[in-house]
Amino acid sequence: MKVDKEINVVGRSCPIPLISLTKEVQGMQKGQVVRITGNDPIFESSVVDCCQERGHTILDTTREGRTISIVFAV
Amino acid sequence: MERKVTILLHSGDLDKALAAFIFANGYAALGVEVKMWFMIWGHNCLKKRRSLFSFRKQLDPAQEGAYRVLETDNILQPMVEMLNRGGAKHLPLSRLNLMGLGPLLFGRMLSKKGIPDLKELIQSANELGVKFIMCQICFDAFGLSVDDLIVPNVEVKGVTAYAKDTLEAQVNLFI
Repeated sequence: MKVDKEINVVGRSCPIPLISLTKEVQGMQKGQVVRITGNDPIFESSVVDCCQERGHTILDTTREGRTISIVFAV
Repeated sequence: MERKVTILLHSGDLDKALAAFIFANGYAALGVEVKMWFMIWGHNCLKKRRSLFSFRKQLDPAQEGAYRVLETDNILQPMVEMLNRGGAKHLPLSRLNLMGLGPLLFGRMLSKKGIPDLKELIQSANELGVKFIMCQICFDAFGLSVDDLIVPNVEVKGVTAYAKDTLEAQVNLFI
């Protein structure tokens, strides 16, 4: 899958993933694809909620141990 | 309907200010319009940390702002300023302050877990478009100036503006 932007928030806690997601997405156009990677225990649920609220569609979720990457379309 | 949230920060304690700014960042990240109000001690977290005294005889324009110049007409305001210097990195804890040791240990605990500190949260709230509003009474009482805060574009308003905002908003927090 072609990814337009990578966001890495491994090791950062809530609410940094949401803040950086919002900041990075601000300048992007609809349809572009973003991958966000993090390992906070509530990372997955908070990103899923955030995407739902902001109207992004989640395309794929992969996990390796505690690290989770979520791919979504803006 | 547009979603709105107001958060009024009344307390100048580090733990309460952290909670307020985490809420503000969370709401702003979800695309909600957030207005943060600062009252009485809440203004301490936006104040620039300045030294009390300067050993330079004359003000150097390049270094202007090394210490705070209060526009004041009485002796009490500088005295309060000496005791209440503010600064986002110098706030006390509401519990277990341990004469100033508590915030240091608390800050180290947070940074080990990757939790942002208060200054970082204030900057990111500013970047996410959170509006900062200060209370006029607080400005008058402490002799503050808008240029002396760490975030730009702080508005100064009164209680009617707060009443209007809170009636329009869906969530109103008082911390």
